[in-house]
Amino acid sequence: MTDTARWSEESEALAESVMAKYPQKRSALMPLLYIAMREDGYLSEAGMRRVADLVDLEPAQVSSVASFYTMYKLEPVGKYLVSVCTSISCWLLGGDEVLEAVEASAGVPSGETDESGVISPEHVECIGACGGAPAVQVNYELIEGLTPKKATELVEWLNAAQPATLNGDEMQALFGGERSFDWAINETNDATGPYPAFQPHGTIAALDRS
Amino acid sequence: MSEPAEFVTIKLNGEEIQAPAGEMLIKVAEDNGTYIPRFCWHPRMKPVGLCRMCLVEVETPRGTALVPSCVQPVADGMAVETGSPVALKAQEGVLEFLLVNHPLDCPICDRGGECPLQDQVMSYGPGESRFVEEKRHYEKPVPISDLVLLDRERCILCARCTRFSDEIAGDPLIEFQNRGNGTEIFTFPDEPFASYFSGNTVQICPVGALTAAPYRFRARPWDLLTIESTSPFHTEGSRITVHASQNQVLRFLGVDNGLTNQGWLSDKERFGFEFIGSPDRLKMPMIREDGEFREASWGEAIGLVAARLKEIVERSGPDAVGAIGGAQGTNEDAYALSKFMRVAVGTNNLDAQLDDGLNPDFLVGVGSRARIQDLESAKTILVWSADLKEENPILYLRVRRAARELDATLIVVHPARTGLDDLADHKFGYRPGDGADLLADLAAGTQDYAPALDALQDGPVVVILGRTGLSEDGGLAEAVASFARDLPAASIMPIVRRANTFGALDMGVAPSLLPGRIPARGASGAIIELWGKVPATRGLDTAGMLAGLVGGELEALIMVGADPVRDVPSGSKAADALRAADFSVAIDLFMTDSAAMADVVLPAEGFTEKEGTVTNLEGRVQKVNRIVPGPGQARPDWSVLDGIAESMGSPIGLPSSEAIAKEISTVATAYEGVSWDLLEGEAREGAVVPIGDVRQPLEYIAVNAEQPARTKGLALHLARTLYDDGSAIRHSLSLAKLAPGMTAGLSPDQAVDLGVEAGDLVTVSIGSVTFACPVRIDRALADKTVAIPFNQPGIETLDAAASVLVKAGGSS
Ligand code: SF4
Ligand code: FES
Ligand code: FES
Repeated sequence: MTDTARWSEESEALAESVMAKYPQKRSALMPLLYIAMREDGYLSEAGMRRVADLVDLEPAQVSSVASFYTMYKLEPVGKYLVSVCTSISCWLLGGDEVLEAVEASAGVPSGETDESGVISPEHVECIGACGGAPAVQVNYELIEGLTPKKATELVEWLNAAQPATLNGDEMQALFGGERSFDWAINETNDATGPYPAFQPHGTIAALDRS
Repeated sequence: MSEPAEFVTIKLNGEEIQAPAGEMLIKVAEDNGTYIPRFCWHPRMKPVGLCRMCLVEVETPRGTALVPSCVQPVADGMAVETGSPVALKAQEGVLEFLLVNHPLDCPICDRGGECPLQDQVMSYGPGESRFVEEKRHYEKPVPISDLVLLDRERCILCARCTRFSDEIAGDPLIEFQNRGNGTEIFTFPDEPFASYFSGNTVQICPVGALTAAPYRFRARPWDLLTIESTSPFHTEGSRITVHASQNQVLRFLGVDNGLTNQGWLSDKERFGFEFIGSPDRLKMPMIREDGEFREASWGEAIGLVAARLKEIVERSGPDAVGAIGGAQGTNEDAYALSKFMRVAVGTNNLDAQLDDGLNPDFLVGVGSRARIQDLESAKTILVWSADLKEENPILYLRVRRAARELDATLIVVHPARTGLDDLADHKFGYRPGDGADLLADLAAGTQDYAPALDALQDGPVVVILGRTGLSEDGGLAEAVASFARDLPAASIMPIVRRANTFGALDMGVAPSLLPGRIPARGASGAIIELWGKVPATRGLDTAGMLAGLVGGELEALIMVGADPVRDVPSGSKAADALRAADFSVAIDLFMTDSAAMADVVLPAEGFTEKEGTVTNLEGRVQKVNRIVPGPGQARPDWSVLDGIAESMGSPIGLPSSEAIAKEISTVATAYEGVSWDLLEGEAREGAVVPIGDVRQPLEYIAVNAEQPARTKGLALHLARTLYDDGSAIRHSLSLAKLAPGMTAGLSPDQAVDLGVEAGDLVTVSIGSVTFACPVRIDRALADKTVAIPFNQPGIETLDAAASVLVKAGGSS
């Protein structure tokens, strides 16, 4: 195994502490991928090599896992990842049109990022909000019951305001329609790091608390 | 194997059969003559139930269900229908789906004609496709290594290749990438599928997605002639099939001999076939005249060799002649060499090893010899030898399997990092030269060694031993064997690397041995009858002969398939010796560096061009077969030697390879009962000699290994790599470029001391040879050690015993 480039001290320390929580190093693969994403803003080849080195896998095995999950981004993503659900419930209630509206106002198709690096539209499979279809997430903060028109406004607002933090309840009030049920804890996603994901990227924060 | 003795009764297509409990349905059906179609299931790998081709109907409490039979263990009372309308419909459906994205480019596919997908679509497919949509497209074949190409359009995602690489070979360099419709097999960018075993994936891929560069577009399967044989590359004696067309050997495939290679081959033995058809093969006898070679007739060349040898024997006595080699051919060739030297010349100066192996008495005489199959039941395995991955790759796979799948405790002792380290429960390193200290500590079970010593008390134990490197004294391996013999339940497997070394030793190509593992001083019975008087004093070994040539005691040297200049660990001394020789003759396939210094060079037939037997490292005798003629006027070694003896006026009477085989079984005690008929019939998996209750003829008496003098300064670890500059590889174009080239392995601390990092250039001097090469960091190395690969292209041969100097910087 070749020696790979180390991450920042903080990330290296975090990686150590994550690995220490598992009886086998390779079990830490997925959380380490989040650290790699935070380091580079996406999962770069160098990042995957570093993970492979840390958990004693071959890089091909690491990218096999990384490329299976859509929330691991193998390419840089804009400031706001706008995920439009096109699974069955949302599709029946106009998810496709919502997606088209998002793409149109972002000016790029799903899977790409606009020129200024602000909006990345994507279509996703069911995000568990079927009762509030059609549903959209911005940096994984949920908005339900959008119309194509509201979706366009959402993208325009993101572009203009470029908020530092996003809050689902607030966006729901501004752009959403009918809500399926009370989402309980109202937590702001302040994942405004170089790429959008759970804070800081979910798993890690949870591990830090444990 | 430790199969559970329990049996269950199942109903297979209405017929009651007995099957071992827990066995998978697909295997049980096959063992009972019912073939269930399959793609992903492979008898030597864990089942995954991925392709769904093997669906059958099984009766369950809730009615019949379609079940993938490769992941369904049999249970008592199970009723199975493999060909019911429902099962057939399901199989048809699976095939229709598999073909949705398959390009059906069979006319330009290497696999066409022997493709499991083609075959099963013919037998179980719907015949028509309802699919009219555009198929998925990928860039057509992309090389994923120097040897293997991948066509993702053809891939049916059975994961055989990825499972092989991970489970069997331990090189998981290819994996599924992406998912759903976009799933593909691929490598990581800039990390090619550089596995020593990559060719196996080409053989087991059930479609033409993986193809081998050396065979691509060379033939159609139905045009190939095929014959079964035994691989000439490693001492494990892998079983193979040889495929040829129009007198050209085009490929080797692995045959599943459960006792040895289990179907797998190293890439060296799979693709090394290329040397056979090399344009550089010797075609005519050559005689040196005024410093230049000229072609000659066999009559003239043999006449000259016979006359010169005779003259030297008459002038200086038979002990002025010596022979090196015999380990690259068949047992019949080796027997001819042995008889030639004893009978026609009258000396014991002959050696099949090139000063890089072990004491021959020890190799063939050490008691309680282990068989490869013993690894299946071993509880503990001690490997104290060369890196198996580099030198005995099939044994490497078997040890890997024992440690990984069969839970054997693995102890590895080696001065550098080896391919088995990651699987080892205990790994001990030492500075080359300090092995005896480590052995003493291990035997005493001091501190760190206590758990390993405990494991070694827990039998059955298999101890694999050999020289860890060329700079190590062979006596250490004998000392390890003595230690192993005192363990309660250990069997011993001494190993060397060169193809038929064990066969050659069994044929008496050693200064102290006669055919059949009999000491040279103990000739009796059939040998005396057939051979007459044989010299009784111990002859010279290779090192002795080379020194003798320089010193003048030896005047003539015969080299049979041996290239001492490249292969002896002090090659420059070999060159000096050849220069000093009064007369030397090389019988070889190529104009090797050594042959180029000889007076006469005689073209020999090689593997696939001659028939005979070979003996592997456990004493297993197997048949090799002929499928193509040799180039030009090449002749088998035995026939050349027989001709020379005849011309010298002391005939050895060997008219054919088969006649030699018969003579071997009469003369060589250990080979009693071995016949070609046996090996072609009942014993196609080979017969381990001595057969039956015959006692091991040679009693090896352990010697006390002397503690070698401690190396001051840097210690040298000089070790071979799978691909090097040996003549078979040099003339196999696909492999020649794979030799890793020179590097200097250093421990991290040693590198810091020298002020260098991985990849930096250093200047290494070994004796009189100086070269610059990049640094490689090996954490397993002791400090004050440098690890150097032996016999790399473009570097003079190195002297394992010389002192070493390493300086930072590349200027030499
Ligand atoms: S390349 Fe061949 S062996 Fe590998 S998954 Fe595809 S079909 Fe199976
Ligand atoms: S289908 Fe869109 S959230 Fe479930
Ligand atoms: S052979 Fe059974 S699922 Fe592939």
